[in-house]
Amino acid sequence: MKKRITVLALAFAMVFTMIVATSCGGGGDDSTAAKDYGEGYEFKQGFDLDYRPYSYVDDNGENGGFDVEMAQAVCDYYGWKYTAVPFNWDNKDAELNAGSCDCIWSGFTINGREDDYCWSKPYSDNTQKIMVKKDSGIAALADLAGKKVGVQTATSAYDLLNDEEGQKELADTFASLEVFDTYTIAITDLKAGAIDAVAVDATRAAEAMAADDSLVCLDENLGSEQYGIGFRKDDTELCEKVNEALDALAADGTVAKIAAKYPEIEEYITLGK
Amino acid sequence: MTFTTMLSTMSAGMWKTFLIFALTLIGSLPLGMVVALLKKSRFAIVRGIISVYISIMRGTPLMLQLVAWYFGPYFLFGWNIGNWRFPAIIVGFVLNYAAYFAEIYRGGIESIPVGQYEAAEVLGYTKFQTFMRIILPQVIKVIMPSITNEVITLVKDTSLAFTLAYQEVFSLAKQISASQTSFMPFLIAGVFYFVANYVVEVVMAKIEKSMDYYK
Repeated sequence: MKKRITVLALAFAMVFTMIVATSCGGGGDDSTAAKDYGEGYEFKQGFDLDYRPYSYVDDNGENGGFDVEMAQAVCDYYGWKYTAVPFNWDNKDAELNAGSCDCIWSGFTINGREDDYCWSKPYSDNTQKIMVKKDSGIAALADLAGKKVGVQTATSAYDLLNDEEGQKELADTFASLEVFDTYTIAITDLKAGAIDAVAVDATRAAEAMAADDSLVCLDENLGSEQYGIGFRKDDTELCEKVNEALDALAADGTVAKIAAKYPEIEEYITLGK
Repeated sequence: MTFTTMLSTMSAGMWKTFLIFALTLIGSLPLGMVVALLKKSRFAIVRGIISVYISIMRGTPLMLQLVAWYFGPYFLFGWNIGNWRFPAIIVGFVLNYAAYFAEIYRGGIESIPVGQYEAAEVLGYTKFQTFMRIILPQVIKVIMPSITNEVITLVKDTSLAFTLAYQEVFSLAKQISASQTSFMPFLIAGVFYFVANYVVEVVMAKIEKSMDYYK
């Protein structure tokens, strides 16, 4: 009897596997074969849905943000099919290399990663800032000694604070460097008093300060950098095509039009300026 | 974002959560039985393999297993994993839960005294008949509370799919919360999980009640 039950259950499991496999469609398409970037090409933008104002869930519950709209504009330009691939920021490299997306396009810092990707032209300036509460009494980087500082994991601020040639020396003066999943939680912790400061991109800080006027950034910068779109290193052709589209969109005013929708970062956008 | 938009955006995630939940149960409940019976196989090598499988499934975090199933094909074989996100989640959940269900089934099967098998044999029952008509009806009664426990845990565990950024309720709650700087999405998610589990409790209680034979 054992055998019959086993066979029955095995058969069931097999049918189930087949249903799952077929319903999900053929995975693994050809990443190595030459690609045709003509009309109808499926362009997969990989991004963090937790990075306002570059990529986030907008007021209508749709994916929105400067980077998302730009990617859609590039797709419209070529007649490509746009596909959104939201991922977890700490998995971005695995997602890109494994082919689930074509690029990392989500407020992605070029500096320090120059050789790791095929980079588009830089499209936005950014600086790393320290954000504190107005009444905290912290006015300069030197005041951070013995304080708890928060940062999001796998971000350029995090890298900067852990890099010997970056701001590691400064980070060593902190009481602790708290690493968070998202800046939203880090900033909430700052407001709640659990940490004293947050090391964050100026653009993300501008957005947070617009929402809560008890927050302020120190005048001193941690570092300055630029955003670009990161492609797989061997995807030079796609990278070139996107660069061409960015130029064309900057020339016809589309970029300025999209940037105007995001006043908190408009001054940082360098494309077409 | 208005409350209604938030709710309607998250309802898409609720359907995806339900999909993970349902497919996991449909896959792991029968697979667990296969595993339980294989663990009692007369071949030592089969028993060994099953023991290792159960140890790994129970001994490592499900979150880690999901990451391994999703990225594994790329890191091991260099495959493109374009559409593999959802299948990987289901494979991860089914194999993990099957291990737990298998141990619950085994406990139930072993709780039946050997005397019943002997009595059934004397009465001329075949082994298959013995299992289906005598053993299984009792086993199901014994294991129902444990199964309910696991099913409730599964409802909450579906949130682990957020590690692969699958847009189920918890991922969406995180993203909307970030974008809208509001904790309301987490509250909505909490109410959703609670209500879902309440439904599970009621349904499982009904099933248990329908099994009060032998009384």
